Amino acid sequence: MDKQKIFCIILLILSVVAIVYACIFPLATWIVYLIAIVFIPGFVLALGLLTMAKPRKEDAEERVKEPFTGY
Amino acid sequence: MNLMIDILVNVIIAFLAGSLILGLHRKIMARVQLRPGPPIVQYLLHSLKFFFKESAIPRTASMPFYVGIVVILAVVWIIGVIVGPVSHGSLLILFGVYAIYKIVEHNAGSSSGSPYGKMSCVRAVLSAATELPLFAAIALIYFKTGTMNIGEIIAYQGAHGPLALSIPLAALMFFILILTKSPYSPFAITKAKELITGFETEHFGFLRGFLMFSESIAWYVMLWLFLTIFFGPLSAIWYVVGMIVITFITGFVNATTPLLNPNHSVMTQITIAGACFVGTLLMIFI
Repeated sequence: MDKQKIFCIILLILSVVAIVYACIFPLATWIVYLIAIVFIPGFVLALGLLTMAKPRKEDAEERVKEPFTGY
Repeated sequence: MNLMIDILVNVIIAFLAGSLILGLHRKIMARVQLRPGPPIVQYLLHSLKFFFKESAIPRTASMPFYVGIVVILAVVWIIGVIVGPVSHGSLLILFGVYAIYKIVEHNAGSSSGSPYGKMSCVRAVLSAATELPLFAAIALIYFKTGTMNIGEIIAYQGAHGPLALSIPLAALMFFILILTKSPYSPFAITKAKELITGFETEHFGFLRGFLMFSESIAWYVMLWLFLTIFFGPLSAIWYVVGMIVITFITGFVNATTPLLNPNHSVMTQITIAGACFVGTLLMIFI
């Protein structure tokens, strides 16, 4: 498993746990705001990086050059 | 309701409602231009679809900023939801949110490595002047109501009637800001067609979906804010009606108006803002 996937899984689990914890247990207002501001975007980021399709190995090099090769 | 659940519900409503309203906006523009246009739900479907599309990071992109700026945009608008619909906090924080949005436009363009993105980034700096109408509108609301707290502004309007009737030129100034931020606006110099999609050109695949997620929330928060601070305490039905009416107006204007060149765009907005600011001051103090 590559580093990015491990990072995404950890971030996803951490986000879900933090959000669910704040939903169940009463916390100080500023902590709830902090959890919302950090972990909602974190959750979407981790989910997106996990769900996105990756280029095939033989196409990977070509993809990173797209679409402004040589700029 | 638990605060976290309240925030989650508001973020989901903002995303879904914002996406549908932006879809409606495209539909209205298409119908005005005698095209059938995409279904209203298309914007929402696109946002979700991009999360499963093949994504790659261009070699010319500046990492980790290229990805980080997309997260910052989401952070900015989740703060917008918290300060607006959730806590009815200070207008000054929302002004800060708009200012950071301009920074996001600038840095998303510059981090991409694309010439279109960089050109859009330069225009984002130029168009920062258009945040002046927002600050002026906030100042005028303060002169009139004596507060910058959204909750207190709602209470003020409950007692004295909508601010749109007492300071209509400030409402017009704020509406010009909404028009500026609407898709295909005559003032949308950072996403002009000659720049492809401007600062978003190189953000494709999942990152584009993430940007669209944040932009849906942004559009919802802007419409919510306009309706709240100028039309007072409203029920959910009136918010829906108000958002649809504003979307019809901006859609019609954008469909029938050519894109202004950058200098004309900025000067037009500043001129309208200046006239409205002086006019409103005269209405308040004379």
